[in-house]
Amino acid sequence: MRRGAPFADGGGVDGTGALDLARWQFALTAAAHFLFVSLTLGLATVVTAVQTWAVLRRGSGGDGGRDAAVRARMVRFWGQLYVVNYAVGIVTGIAMEFQFGLAWSGLGHYAGDVLGASLAMETIVAFFVESTFLGLWIFGWNRFGPRLHCALLWVVTGTAYLSAYWILVANGFLNHPVGYTRTAHGIELADAPAVLANPSTLLAFGHIAGGALLTAAFFVAGISAYHLRRRGTSRPSGADTELFRRSLRIGVFLAPPALLWTAASGGLQLSAIAGHQPMKSAVWRAETAEIARLQAELVERFGPGDYVPSQGLVRGAALLMLGAFALMLYASAGSALLACFRRAVLRFRGWHVLLMALVPLPYVAMTAGWVFREAGRQPWVVYGLLRTEDALSDVSAGGMRVSLAVFTTLFALLLAVNWWLLLRTARRGPGAVALGGLGEPGEDERDERTPGDGPPAGRDIGPVPAY
Amino acid sequence: MEIAVETLAAALLGLFTAGYLVLGGADLGVCMLLPHLGRDADERRTVLAAIAPFFLGNEVWLIAAAGVFVGCFPALEGEVFTGQSAVLVPLLAGWIVRDAGLWWRGRAPWRAWRALCDGMVVAGSWTAALAWGWLLAGLLTGDPAEPAAGPATVLTSLGVAALFAVHGSAFAALRLTGGLRRRARLPAGRAGERSTFALTALAMAVLPLAAGVRLPLAESAAGGQVLGLLVPAVLAVVPLPVAAQVWLWLTFRGRVTGPSYL
Repeated sequence: MRRGAPFADGGGVDGTGALDLARWQFALTAAAHFLFVSLTLGLATVVTAVQTWAVLRRGSGGDGGRDAAVRARMVRFWGQLYVVNYAVGIVTGIAMEFQFGLAWSGLGHYAGDVLGASLAMETIVAFFVESTFLGLWIFGWNRFGPRLHCALLWVVTGTAYLSAYWILVANGFLNHPVGYTRTAHGIELADAPAVLANPSTLLAFGHIAGGALLTAAFFVAGISAYHLRRRGTSRPSGADTELFRRSLRIGVFLAPPALLWTAASGGLQLSAIAGHQPMKSAVWRAETAEIARLQAELVERFGPGDYVPSQGLVRGAALLMLGAFALMLYASAGSALLACFRRAVLRFRGWHVLLMALVPLPYVAMTAGWVFREAGRQPWVVYGLLRTEDALSDVSAGGMRVSLAVFTTLFALLLAVNWWLLLRTARRGPGAVALGGLGEPGEDERDERTPGDGPPAGRDIGPVPAY
Repeated sequence: MEIAVETLAAALLGLFTAGYLVLGGADLGVCMLLPHLGRDADERRTVLAAIAPFFLGNEVWLIAAAGVFVGCFPALEGEVFTGQSAVLVPLLAGWIVRDAGLWWRGRAPWRAWRALCDGMVVAGSWTAALAWGWLLAGLLTGDPAEPAAGPATVLTSLGVAALFAVHGSAFAALRLTGGLRRRARLPAGRAGERSTFALTALAMAVLPLAAGVRLPLAESAAGGQVLGLLVPAVLAVVPLPVAAQVWLWLTFRGRVTGPSYL
């Protein structure tokens, strides 16, 4: 980062210094936020499926209700991990929403008509409903009947996807502006359906949804593998072995379709950007002659300037994403085969280690994918319309430096503590889950049992309706 | 026609902001008074149970307000947010720290952990409340696009923070029982719990409306095409989340006597 000029004149914009800092702030906070989003979105889907299955199979199953008990514990265990991750994800999302106005007011001035509207729809149509219903789901665990309680989660998950869609309407417009007309000072919405059905939005939505499911699949498989592997040394109760055997299979069987879906929508995106953003495409293919031709063409169209995004960043990110994809492809195909054998699921400890090691891979791929998408469209913030440097607020480098320091530190701490809590909760297993464990207020607390002396299976399901 | 849409957009902005300050202000105030209301870790957990089901739903009112602001008044939003960034950064940071403290408190059993989280909740809430005071001082008296300064600002900040605390206390008195309830009732004296809360809620709701009147909302609204789509869409959708929130409040209307998930 370049040192900024002195900002003695108060509000004076210190060009590149503040610009770099603001870009770093947005990149870091968005990437950190997305680490939460991808798991939240995927895990919500998995928990919804498990809870629905539990509700539908309520009362059936053999073993005098043992199956039902396993399913109820599954909902609570994975639900607990989901809630831990979701909570911090919201907190990081708050900073994202305000950042547009804080550091990028030029975007609001120029493209606020389209961008602001989609962000507004996200908050009101999606997030408002999502948060309210999540509160009902978490704190109303023992107050509603099983069907109603499960329906609450359906609303939460549905609105989570809706939320992702609206955010991608904004992002898709930045990458491939459609349905607008130019005015004296910016652009105005002209064709709302075109904005809503922007291919750049829809393809990214499919890609993100698949990636989120993939993240959850590897997460569920990895944590289940940890517990099944540990069975040899400290034996979890029989019910938990069954719980993790089933969970591992859910994760492992979800991974291949999620991966193929993600890859297919990614492939479609690659061919789409050849039309939407030819420069990104040329940089990714390392076609030097084409890059030079496009640069000359863009100079002719938009005036002098450097229209080539950082080649190392774009190509490096794309290769990293594809490399992670290849690894995940082999690992998930092999795992899906192994998971057909009960003995392997329960005893193949080397494979368990591999599944645990795979948990970070989807995160790597998704972060790299975002870098490819966003770094690859530079120098534009609204492609072909508004340059990133022209969108920057009138902020001083000093102010930007303080805000970057505050948010980077906060987000790093949030990420670290979130993962420590996730892993701690995962390691302690279903016996120590707090979610849904408290009955009506005033009942005894039962969540803080010392690890190791786990209760007999099923006992601490307590007042949870047996579904 | 266009004027009517702009007025509706301003009314929505006012509704969401006032909604946040009344509802979210109450849980923020409870968190500010956490060490006063709950004298040990268990009592504090019960105090937090009084706001637990609501605080997530409360703060989305502010998120929605910011959404309407950026959607219907994008240029003004950029101006105010950029101009007030020195105020908004501590406001957001305080909010983030408080929420993290709330969500994390019950996730590990150690006393030091709970004390740390309590500290995050209290410090974050005071930071956010004081920043709100600072922001309102700027919007009410100064240039909306510049952080307010001077002794009047300090007084306004302290006054607004105190109002948050009293509002939280009035809310806690309605939610708790026994000794905790008595402690929460202190600032109100002998006045009825409900009327005290109604009074503080009214004061909270008036604040942003008074500030909003000074903003050049009518001149800086988004294009008619956007407002014509966005405002009816929001108006059509809003009853659903509001109804869900009413359901949430009815579900958890009973006073709390013990811990919740937090």
